[in-house]
Amino acid sequence: MAIFRIKDSKTQALADSLDRQAQRQFTQEELFQFAPYDPGAGERGGYSDYSYWRSTLRAFRKNRVAMFFLCVILATLLFTFLEPLLPYDREPNTIYYVEQAEINLFTRKPVLDEKGNPVMKVSRATDRAPGEEFWFGTNSIGQDLWSQIWSGTRNSLFIGFSVACVDALLGILVGVLWGYVRKLDFLFTELYNIFDNVPQTLIVVIISYVLRPGMGTMIFAMCLTSWLATARFIRNQVVIIRDRDYNLASRCLGTSTGRIITKNLLPYLVSIITMRMALAIPAAINNEVFITYIGLGVPLETPTLGNLVEAGRKVMGEAALRYQLFIPVVILATITISFYIIGNAFADAADPKNHVN
Amino acid sequence: MPNENAILSFEELEIRFTLRGQVLNAIRGISLDVMQGESLAIVGESGSGKSVFTKSAMGLLDANGAITGGHIWYGGKDLAQFKTEKEWLTIRGKEIAMVMQDPMTSLNPLKTIGDQITEAVLLHQGLKGEAARKAAMDALAAVGIDEPERRYRQYPHEFSGGMRQRVVIAIAVACRPKVLICDEPTTALDVTIQAQILDLIKALQKKLDLTTIYITHDLGVVANVADRIAVMYAGDIVEVGRCEEVFYDPKHPYTWALLSSLPQLGVKGQDLYSIQGTPPNLFYEVHGDAFAPRNPQALNIDFVERPPFFQVSPTHKARTWLLDPRAPKVEPPEHIRQLRQKGGYPHG
Amino acid sequence: MVKYIGKRLLRSLLTLFIIITIVFALLRLMPIEGYFQNFEKMSATQIQVGLQQLGLTDPLPQQLLHFWQGAVQGDFGVSHKYRVGVDVLEIIAGKIPLSLAIGLTSLALALLIGLPLGILMARSTRTRWKIGDKLGTVFVVVIQAIPSAIYYIFIQFYCSQLPGFSMFFDAKRPLTWILPICSLALGNVAYYAMWLRRYMVDEANKDYVKLARAKGVPTAEISRRHVFRNAFVPLVQFIPTSVILTLMGSLYVESLYSIPGMGGLLVNAIQIQDNTLVQALVLLYAAISIAGLLVGDILMAVLDPRITLGKKEGGR
Repeated sequence: MAIFRIKDSKTQALADSLDRQAQRQFTQEELFQFAPYDPGAGERGGYSDYSYWRSTLRAFRKNRVAMFFLCVILATLLFTFLEPLLPYDREPNTIYYVEQAEINLFTRKPVLDEKGNPVMKVSRATDRAPGEEFWFGTNSIGQDLWSQIWSGTRNSLFIGFSVACVDALLGILVGVLWGYVRKLDFLFTELYNIFDNVPQTLIVVIISYVLRPGMGTMIFAMCLTSWLATARFIRNQVVIIRDRDYNLASRCLGTSTGRIITKNLLPYLVSIITMRMALAIPAAINNEVFITYIGLGVPLETPTLGNLVEAGRKVMGEAALRYQLFIPVVILATITISFYIIGNAFADAADPKNHVN
Repeated sequence: MPNENAILSFEELEIRFTLRGQVLNAIRGISLDVMQGESLAIVGESGSGKSVFTKSAMGLLDANGAITGGHIWYGGKDLAQFKTEKEWLTIRGKEIAMVMQDPMTSLNPLKTIGDQITEAVLLHQGLKGEAARKAAMDALAAVGIDEPERRYRQYPHEFSGGMRQRVVIAIAVACRPKVLICDEPTTALDVTIQAQILDLIKALQKKLDLTTIYITHDLGVVANVADRIAVMYAGDIVEVGRCEEVFYDPKHPYTWALLSSLPQLGVKGQDLYSIQGTPPNLFYEVHGDAFAPRNPQALNIDFVERPPFFQVSPTHKARTWLLDPRAPKVEPPEHIRQLRQKGGYPHG
Repeated sequence: MVKYIGKRLLRSLLTLFIIITIVFALLRLMPIEGYFQNFEKMSATQIQVGLQQLGLTDPLPQQLLHFWQGAVQGDFGVSHKYRVGVDVLEIIAGKIPLSLAIGLTSLALALLIGLPLGILMARSTRTRWKIGDKLGTVFVVVIQAIPSAIYYIFIQFYCSQLPGFSMFFDAKRPLTWILPICSLALGNVAYYAMWLRRYMVDEANKDYVKLARAKGVPTAEISRRHVFRNAFVPLVQFIPTSVILTLMGSLYVESLYSIPGMGGLLVNAIQIQDNTLVQALVLLYAAISIAGLLVGDILMAVLDPRITLGKKEGGR
């Protein structure tokens, strides 16, 4: 076993030479002779194997809960987008009909014809419980819930990702301008102070009210002000980092602005952006559910998790129909909780303070 | 067994930290006696473990660090065995108090100066109400703050750095401790203020019969205040002696290197001396003399076996194989000997 | 201090002014059927005459001026659908007390539960297994990550089956107040607990806490006298956000429980497309949010001695 336990490669050679020196058998006289001096050996301890990204990943990987949810969300996303390729897949808005015995409304018994056979009648396959024919059952107008739910998940995720992307793009652009161009600071700050005062939900409500409801309106309404917070966040980081002594120092040493941005600024920004994007998705889904409840949601032809939850809520009073609420809620909660936990865990992992132990 | 004149005595103390999943040997078996009434300076470069070493005597190690061996004797008790907060509360403030490095952050920004001093008075002087207030104001006056009445009600942000350090000292002194640890008390201050603060601590030491331990990397501070010096390198004390012994007759190659780095010893027109290399990474177990890889005159045995303390005089000892009778004779560098001939301390 | 508050007040007024203007602009975009009770049956000329009567065909600057005047005098027009011809402010005014009572009670409840929970979690981070912190975090994550709309539904459905509770609100039966108030409080409980915990953990690592430990203050007292107090001050900033959270939650909760308050009214007005009522309510909600932020900033200035003076010194 090596006496000097070395973990990084750069110092391995130096360590080996020290090991050899330590393990060599000296005679009594040799012990008190001068050792060969190697100036390089003195540097052995100074090399740190710290790397920001490696430590971030390491801290994230150590968070077992976050890793679990990362797997969950990756599996969910993969399945959601591969689902249309399954042989089962059906058009979500198709209404299914079945031939079944007619039931007398009063006696609750099958209506019989003259020969004593039940009268068969073609009707909508409404409120079928999950089973072999309809995996997740059907809803109150006879649409296949399996297809509705996965299509709805895709649509809701699309809304979420769109909002997150616009949020990140506009946020970075404005945030960096805001932070770097000092003349714009006052203007942007005042604008921010004004619009930040208005609750985002209220803005989404009023925009959806004024414009025609639809996916586009929904995304537009949510994007309208959500990027402000991101821009503010990035602006603060840019200002802090711009004025930090270590950046001043590296500028004095002749480091180019480009290198300062990539080496000193970007690591911070990437982690902030990733976190905010991860958190924007559950927020968007949350908003969507709320707006749908108010009656300003996406039209019913486009299934979304909000529409499905709202439809399920209406029939929740009957125990037999609760699957119509539970299934979309479970999927929705899986998605929002996963993104929430991953976003926060990543934020923690990206903080150099947490790279210590 | 500890020396009977020692007020605080460290015996083969070992402290380890767990950091990024690795074990760091911060203190590697230190034995040191702190004598009643003296002022001792612990000198070493950043990361040598000076702060950790003294913090262990107050039970103030960070959560990922622990004493893994040895003893800390104080008043007949072994502080290294203390487990509960209740035990430590009999020591902190009451027996050993501390002045920290950065006065800008060591005061609570949302409490008045008065409150923060009174807190110490209430805990340790057994006074209450108006009497405690009075004592706190006296403490403010004692550290040379004018208008204590008005200052008492002010918040830390209304004080300058030097004034805040005076407040921190007032808090420490208001605890009525026997030992005062000053952890780089002047590092964060303007040069013009540094001397005032050191003079203040010296005056208080005399007045209150304190034992003071300075932690510093500034040899100028050491020369100014210390009776004895302990030189620390890579979690170990390599040389201890009276101030003049260490300055004029240093024995350990690291002490030579440290003294050689004093800018005052430089000759105009020549490069300043600097020690080659970097301190060892304490994630790795150090064998032999930790300084050996940076020492051009290291012996083979320096890489194999840790040197014991060799007694130079009753008050002076050093951990270097150069003092072994079998070792070849190695003279300290020329300018170190000049320091002795010049006969002056290197005042910073 | 007075100067700071004055400046802050002016900014709030400016914000309100701009919001009014924006709402006015949005008003132009609102579907015109929202101004008439029986739009489908009216002819084009009838609509034109109706719009003229409402002053909606005047040149824009004149309309804007009218709108501002109305806003200053508290005249936001009359309802066209909800209760035809009744002043919208009158409709809203009747709903405010109930909404206020429910909102404030839920806020108070949130503080009462959220703060101790936060302290408990922060304390627990220093114990071996951190059980309290872990359980608390699970609660916070669930409440924050799952859309509030969903847990509102579940609370209403399952808790209303307990004896004495009901799916619907009845002002005369105290038990029916409990579910909506608790539903509204949940989000804020999680919010306060999370931030207080985070701030307390942050504060506990600061140098002044180390100094307090070095002077021999017992840990329990440090966490009460130093850590909690210092962590609580920045928490004041979140009061406005939690006011907003409560407001937005009340939209859902009030209509879910059929509470005759403002939140339910807005949802109602949106569903029946009563333009003037929607517009007045949106303005009112915006005004409450702005006032909440103002109160938060003023409280902050009162509690933190550095704020007023800190600016003069050029910040920390």
